[in-house]
Amino acid sequence: MASSDHQGNKDPTNTDGTPSPGTSCPVHSHAAEEAKRNGLRKALVRHRDYVKISVPEGKGNRLPSEWWKTFISLFYAILNLVLTTFMITVVHERVPPKESSPPLPDKFFDYIDRVQWAFTVTEVNGMVLVSIWSIQLLFHRYKAIVARRYFFLLGTLYMYRCVTMYVTTLPVPGMHMVCAPKLHGDSQAMLQRVLQLLSGGGLSITGSHLLCGDFLYSGHTVILTLTYLFLKEYSPRSFWWYHLLCWLTAAVGVICILVAHEHYSVDVVVAYFITTRLFYWYHTMANLQTLKCSPNNYLTHTWWNPVFNLFERNVQTHVPCSFCWPITWPPACLKNPCKKYSMVQSSREE
Amino acid sequence: MKEVRLWTASDVSDWLTDEGLQEYTDAFQDVDGPALLRLSEEDFKASPLSLVTGDSGRHLLERIKTLLLTSHMKAHKNNNNNENGHTVIALANGSVSNGKIHNGIPKNGLHPEPVRILIPQPPEQERTPYPTEWFKTGVAFLYALFCFLTTTVVISVVHERVPPKEESPPLPDKFFDLFDRVEWAFSICEINGMLLVGLWFMQWLLLKHRSIIGRRFFFIVGTLYLYRCMTMYVTTLPVPGMHFKCSPKIFGDWEAQSRRVMKMMAGGGLSITGSHSLCGDYLYSGHTVMLTLTYLFIKEYSPRRFWWYPWICWCLSAVGIFCILLAHDHYTIDVLLAYFITTRLFWWYHTMANQQALKEISTGNLFSRVWWFYPFQYFESNVRGIVPRNYQLPFLFRTVTCTRVKYSKLDSRES
Repeated sequence: MASSDHQGNKDPTNTDGTPSPGTSCPVHSHAAEEAKRNGLRKALVRHRDYVKISVPEGKGNRLPSEWWKTFISLFYAILNLVLTTFMITVVHERVPPKESSPPLPDKFFDYIDRVQWAFTVTEVNGMVLVSIWSIQLLFHRYKAIVARRYFFLLGTLYMYRCVTMYVTTLPVPGMHMVCAPKLHGDSQAMLQRVLQLLSGGGLSITGSHLLCGDFLYSGHTVILTLTYLFLKEYSPRSFWWYHLLCWLTAAVGVICILVAHEHYSVDVVVAYFITTRLFYWYHTMANLQTLKCSPNNYLTHTWWNPVFNLFERNVQTHVPCSFCWPITWPPACLKNPCKKYSMVQSSREE
Repeated sequence: MKEVRLWTASDVSDWLTDEGLQEYTDAFQDVDGPALLRLSEEDFKASPLSLVTGDSGRHLLERIKTLLLTSHMKAHKNNNNNENGHTVIALANGSVSNGKIHNGIPKNGLHPEPVRILIPQPPEQERTPYPTEWFKTGVAFLYALFCFLTTTVVISVVHERVPPKEESPPLPDKFFDLFDRVEWAFSICEINGMLLVGLWFMQWLLLKHRSIIGRRFFFIVGTLYLYRCMTMYVTTLPVPGMHFKCSPKIFGDWEAQSRRVMKMMAGGGLSITGSHSLCGDYLYSGHTVMLTLTYLFIKEYSPRRFWWYPWICWCLSAVGIFCILLAHDHYTIDVLLAYFITTRLFWWYHTMANQQALKEISTGNLFSRVWWFYPFQYFESNVRGIVPRNYQLPFLFRTVTCTRVKYSKLDSRES
């Protein structure tokens, strides 16, 4: 710095030509006095010595929000939900009537008889869990990232469900089930049914659960299990009572599905298995940074790996459990952007 | 070569030339053996040696020390040979046990004889990152056997509960709507399956780390069959086609049932061997599991050079699975579910085994929440790193090496 001062020293008033004695940053202090003494022109000439070093952003934000990715995954989830609804309508036409194809033998049904109001319990539990989860998500600091994960997993699980529902059609699990009459090829009526199902969310409480055939695997189990897993994962570890309550709610909900004879046992078992495996798989890949760079990572053999890479590329660390108010007061707008910081900035602006 | 003490000046001169220290020959014209041994650093500080040497004689002094050592060793070897093989037994602490000290009085603290230091061999798990541990492989094998037995028993139980085809017709299936039944397709599937299992077995025999890989195969196969037991048991699907001939039901006759179980195990559950007469084991398909799993293992542990070999196996596997459906022997959902569960379990297990970070319980590692995590740790805790694809003939075919290369002077002394 001192040498550049010498080389660029064009000020005729500086007669001695030797470096300013005893200063570590001679350019700045010397130049300040000079500018004050000699005015603007001299200051500009002095500041020509400065070299701009562009510093890269550095680590930056390790958990960027990237809301556009969240919207993509929301769109993906909605697309899969619509597809599932459409698929249920199609499969409904193929369900064999209960008279010709009686319910399959099921171990749980042999032991426990049907209880009529149990399915309402399931649906109430499901709605309670989903609303608690929405509130928790709203208050989470990194809601963009967490919501992205939730929508992606939900969409994928419903997509798998479409496939399993479509290929083989199981008969109704009990003679109590009331299936809407079949519409043989009437597309307009089918479309109406799809809309009715969507608007009611597929719940029998809202009266939109009249279609049969969507047994393998159980969508209610998926929602209950997935919401519980997310609730547990993204809440503080010390809230054991909260985790226990949610677990009880989910477990009671799942058992009531079987008690109500609304699904076969294998539907529930398979749904639980697929949901937990997918959740663990996704989150382990996202949490352990070493896996992303490792060449021997078989977890990348899944078909959804490119989508995973898109969503989680910039998330560089484990999402911490921190909460904040959903609407943040924007203090940045109140700050004066024109505050002067240094001689360099002010002279540059001049 | 005689001892240094007996050297003359010309011997010293010859030695200096041999060692490449010609610059000292002029200065050492009068120096004989004992004088050479008496040289020290002070001598090099005074003239005439200080003029000749560049490093205060350090290099030369070192060479003299080495010379002393070798001449001592040679002298005692000669002495030993002269005294009719009088051996010195050296203990681990390095003392000479018989109390006799030969011609070589320890000079400068050197022992006259090379001393054998016994090094205890570390246990196998520290010597190699891939210890064999056949005991663990045995445990895995027993586990797989137990799971096969359980599956057979469960099939036998479920058979009693299958609704008759007249009452419960086959369920509607998309594949069955598109493709009609082909009768001989199931034999193709079973032949492919047997081929793949045979190929995998031969490949496994040729692997070097066969104990570790065998352990993995048995554990994964056992767990898959255990899952299969559960899904078969809870809900019973009706037969997929009217062509099925199910054995008659034996209600409660335990002896006949156990005989059936034995027959099924002996035939491996294949219809070629005539042991596939029980119905009800549809969700999920065991044939798909074996076809997929053997292909995955073959691909994983085959050499990269033979790229065509996994491709052939893939074709065998894919054709086999397609033929299961073509024969209307399983529903499509059975095959899909089997494929999904097999691939996921295989990839999960191998990723965990290959990354050290996943073998420990931590908050980031959700894989540790799986129920088989503790058996997994038992099997894989001593395996450090990715098991390499090395090949080696099995023990019986390996020829015993008769030649032994001699490496060093010490080694030759022992022999």
